[in-house]
Amino acid sequence: MKFLEHEAKSVFSETGIQVPRGFLIHSADELAGYLEQLPPEFVLKAQVDVGGRGKAGGILMADRKNGIENAKALFGKSIKGVAVKEILAEERLEIQHEYYASIAVDRSTKEALLLFTEEGGVDIEILARENPSAIRRASLPLLMTEIPPFMLRDLLGGAPREVGKVLQSLYTAFCRKDAILAEINPLVATPAGLFAADAKLIVDDNALRRQGISCNRDMTDREREAERHGFSYVELEGNIGVIGNGAGLTMATLDLISFFKGKAANFLDVGGGADQERVMHAVRLVAGVPSVKVIIVNLLGGITRCDEVARGIIAAGISQEVFVRLAGTNEEEGRSLLSERGYRMVGSMEEAVRDAVEAVR
Amino acid sequence: MIYADKSAGIIVAGATGRQGGFHIALMNEYAKTVGGAGVVAGVTPGKGGQVASGVPVYNSIREAMADIDAEVSVIFVPAAAAGDSIMESANAGLSLAVTITEHIPVHDTMNAIAFAKLHDCAVIGPNGPGLLSPGEIKLGIMPSHLFSRGNIGVISRSGTLTYEIVDELTKAGLGQSTVVGIGGDPVVGQTFSDVLRRFEEDPQTKAVVLIGEVGGALEEEGARSTDLPIAAYIAGISAPPEKRMGHAGAIIEGGEGDARSKIERLRKMEVPVASRPSEIPGIIKKIL
Repeated sequence: MKFLEHEAKSVFSETGIQVPRGFLIHSADELAGYLEQLPPEFVLKAQVDVGGRGKAGGILMADRKNGIENAKALFGKSIKGVAVKEILAEERLEIQHEYYASIAVDRSTKEALLLFTEEGGVDIEILARENPSAIRRASLPLLMTEIPPFMLRDLLGGAPREVGKVLQSLYTAFCRKDAILAEINPLVATPAGLFAADAKLIVDDNALRRQGISCNRDMTDREREAERHGFSYVELEGNIGVIGNGAGLTMATLDLISFFKGKAANFLDVGGGADQERVMHAVRLVAGVPSVKVIIVNLLGGITRCDEVARGIIAAGISQEVFVRLAGTNEEEGRSLLSERGYRMVGSMEEAVRDAVEAVR
Repeated sequence: MIYADKSAGIIVAGATGRQGGFHIALMNEYAKTVGGAGVVAGVTPGKGGQVASGVPVYNSIREAMADIDAEVSVIFVPAAAAGDSIMESANAGLSLAVTITEHIPVHDTMNAIAFAKLHDCAVIGPNGPGLLSPGEIKLGIMPSHLFSRGNIGVISRSGTLTYEIVDELTKAGLGQSTVVGIGGDPVVGQTFSDVLRRFEEDPQTKAVVLIGEVGGALEEEGARSTDLPIAAYIAGISAPPEKRMGHAGAIIEGGEGDARSKIERLRKMEVPVASRPSEIPGIIKKIL
């Protein structure tokens, strides 16, 4: 789950990283109470989780005169489709230099990947393309409780040693918070020391519970409802509903739909042990999406009981046509249950997809 | 056949759970038909002395190893304790820990894999179906009736999609040497390149099917590392960016790991990539 800037900053400051003095406001009027505590010139930053927030108009300069007016304008905006509900009003920093520092989970080495560059403040992907040698990297096994001195020296190059302390703190935050990404860009050198001017933190979804986070904000309501049933669900833009067991098989079903020039409305993986109850909930959930015209059910498994699945589909009692591909035990019984009620059961997933695409054409 | 043969004794961690008990029975059924050692012990802390699906249960792997011979573990324990179980397997001297459990926090996985490496223990998974070498050994939850023995290796990040493709191979008369589900998490123990290295040393394996999906670049890394003839399928060409497609690892992040660019890079390495799972047997027959 992605943390918002102000949340990431409060996590980082707990490990000793300095962050600009700032206040989180939920309305423009709220700013009035903080004007005295902010310096005469400050910055208003929309707390929305979108890339390129600054360029999209999510960051406004402000002072005591125009602050409330600007905040009002920013609250009325939506940044790349996301409504502004919170603003971080923050002191402006006197920038002497900008660095970039990040720590991420690296799939290839299975270790923490540390990146540091003395040319911060720019888009790191662009820098990686245009001047890759400016980015220094190191790989650290998570079994290590801190970054060893040699590795810090390698990373820092000519940067002052204080920057090393920030990297060390960032690593502490990364480990403590089960992060898959912890990033400071820019890390700003000012006469008053180093500050995290922006902060990014993504926490592992599988660790939310032990991090005390009960609700994954990255999900839509329907995705959360699906999760309560133990399904993985992703909303898409087409009109063919898809239910499968296993992420790979369900993805392959979506891909076949686009191969046959159709458009999937969703991805729903019912997971293991698809029984009557689960299948019924899955079918109802997908059928409840207004754009869904037909539904493909593609279940394959040694231990999936086809008669149970068939009963689940029938119990869902939905109006859309359902194309069913089932392989597992009690296949014959499932087949006859479905055909008695006029459902279509097909032999392969390709057949199911082709027929479904044909039906909505 | 790679990683383990029929003589390997199996310890099931999380033996007294519903999943563990159910799959001990299936693994032993398979071992019986091929004349293998099968599951020789179960482990659940605090449940020592019980019996799970006809197998004695011990409190720890070390305790079990005092009584029986085992080389590999298959782990079904809940996510919060699964990393611990991997480390326990390695520490007890097992050479392979096959981890079925899903939803293990990724930091736990990274720590457990690093620890296992110190003890020369290979980790398969987490969040995968395990492996099956037809006629030799089944470690995990793959439905064996779809498999047949032969000389095609299969490496996959998926479960059911693997069964789909194995079924296609079997129907086309292409048997398998070993089928490995490396797991759907962003960080897994054995990656495509690790498994390919094993296949290269395996005289039985003549060609390999690589079943990948969106997220990361481990498929390309694997393909680059081997001289074996390979055919690939990449799932997720229709996956939107920044959305997790069922597997924790199946996500296009920061513009990286999308299916189209994966396929393009594989084709540049002259790896044939199927646009549908059903095309795989045809491609394999061509490259054999």
